[in-house]
Amino acid sequence: MTTVHGYLAMARSEFRLFRREPFSVVFVLAFPLMMMMLLAAVFGNKQSDAGAIQNGMLVWRGVTPANYYTAASVAVIVAALGLMTLPITLTSYRQRGILRRFRASSVPASTLVGAQLTVAFATFVAGTLVMATVARLAYHAMLPQDLLGVVAALLAGTVAFGAIGLLLATVIRTSRSAQGIGLMLFFALWLVSGTGPPRAVLPTGLRDVANVLPLTHLVTAVQNPWFGFGWAGTDLAVLAAYAVAAGVPALWLFRRY
Amino acid sequence: MAVITVDHLRKTYRGVVAVEDLSFDVEAGEIFGILGPNGAGKTTTIECVQGLRHADGGTVRVLGLDPATQAAQLRQRIGSQLQDSSLPGRLRVAESIELFAAFARHPIACEELLARWRLGEQRAQPFDSLSGGQRQRLFIALAFVNSPEVVFLDELTQGLDPQARRATWELIREIRQSGTTVLLVTHFMDEAEHLCDRVAVVDRGRVVALDTPQGLIDGLGLPSVVRFSTSEPDLDWLEKLDVVESMARQGQAVEIRGTGPVLALVASELVAHQIVPLDLRVERPTVEDAFLALTGQDIRG
Repeated sequence: MTTVHGYLAMARSEFRLFRREPFSVVFVLAFPLMMMMLLAAVFGNKQSDAGAIQNGMLVWRGVTPANYYTAASVAVIVAALGLMTLPITLTSYRQRGILRRFRASSVPASTLVGAQLTVAFATFVAGTLVMATVARLAYHAMLPQDLLGVVAALLAGTVAFGAIGLLLATVIRTSRSAQGIGLMLFFALWLVSGTGPPRAVLPTGLRDVANVLPLTHLVTAVQNPWFGFGWAGTDLAVLAAYAVAAGVPALWLFRRY
Repeated sequence: MAVITVDHLRKTYRGVVAVEDLSFDVEAGEIFGILGPNGAGKTTTIECVQGLRHADGGTVRVLGLDPATQAAQLRQRIGSQLQDSSLPGRLRVAESIELFAAFARHPIACEELLARWRLGEQRAQPFDSLSGGQRQRLFIALAFVNSPEVVFLDELTQGLDPQARRATWELIREIRQSGTTVLLVTHFMDEAEHLCDRVAVVDRGRVVALDTPQGLIDGLGLPSVVRFSTSEPDLDWLEKLDVVESMARQGQAVEIRGTGPVLALVASELVAHQIVPLDLRVERPTVEDAFLALTGQDIRG
């Protein structure tokens, strides 16, 4: 029972630390919310825009821009946590000797990673509720049509971006580099994955690149059930593939911290 | 019964030898010290013993377990205060004890540890705001959280003020009373001298001497120094004593080096010559002198 007990204690501890870390709270919760509101302010919330077509694509996927960004920004929370909070936390744990401290006290690597991902998932759910509530009040945006589908997409996103974050934490040595690299990756993905400018306005080459990136698939995986389009099977599968491709080597490298 | 057996341990980092060939045994219930200059391989040695690093050669057994392959089992039964480790900056003292207790099979109550290591007032303080001494006490408390059979202490009193050091030594002695074996790494001579039952002096990855602190000193036959002052000009008769190796004089101050019962013999000879200096005193060789003789260098050098 030590394992479960330890995992719960670690999750509680990581949750406290997350709450006490202003950077995480701001970036992971406030930033996506702010971007959602700014983008909704820029592109508006007119029903007439819902059918807009550019480059042969529905620009807003058949919903209003405010609706579009509400669901897309939930995916941004996941990306921010996976690309920034997770690698920054773990590299600083390594650098400061916290990982050695844990290892010397027989805390398994999987318990630490599991606790981090648990806190991440809880944050996503909370962030989603905040996002949906604010959008509802401000734009009368739709609430998730298929809540279970959204939760499933968040789970897939947690695992995929958790694995990517862990892989970053194993290859990056210092938390300063993790901050730089994480921020760069985050904004690059944010710009091309339909979370910033709509994908329809991107040049074809950039759109093709974005097609293989995980955030694009997470956006679709969240948006489809949110708008009532059903579950995005292919996108969930791509996220699962990312989870395996990044997670297996990451766990193998991280198992001895 | 040996609790720790290290036999021909060897460890290199990318071709640089950290531990050349190191062997020692630690008996149940003793406080065993590893003393050596910086870079002698002390920390590497106890990290291998705890299974935090994998040795390149030799065998290590702790409580009958192989730290390289049975680390998980071993860590349930040992406690460890690591050098250069830390905790998340915003984790509070009591929270961190409770976190580590959750991974222990036989945890000691948080309140008991807070009281024993005088951390009660800091219980709600985050790790980042603790002083060096408070951090050190917290790490020691964490080393004991799982009621360990063997405790590893690496530079135990680093960063503690003299009063706190004495208090810490006292607690370590108390812990030994309960039957816990202690393996202590230090570069403080007085710590080794006051605390350890036996000391292994390590230099360049090898054990150069292993004995009780007094045994180390005695074994080397290091001279005592007797000092006194007198206005008597001729003291040549003192040099004729067998125990006296050399005599130096500067004005009234006399310094005599010698081995064995040099003080008693010099004193009786002085009295016989009706010289009774008020400031007659002796400096016995210390572990530091033994260390210098063994390694040929200053501990901090």
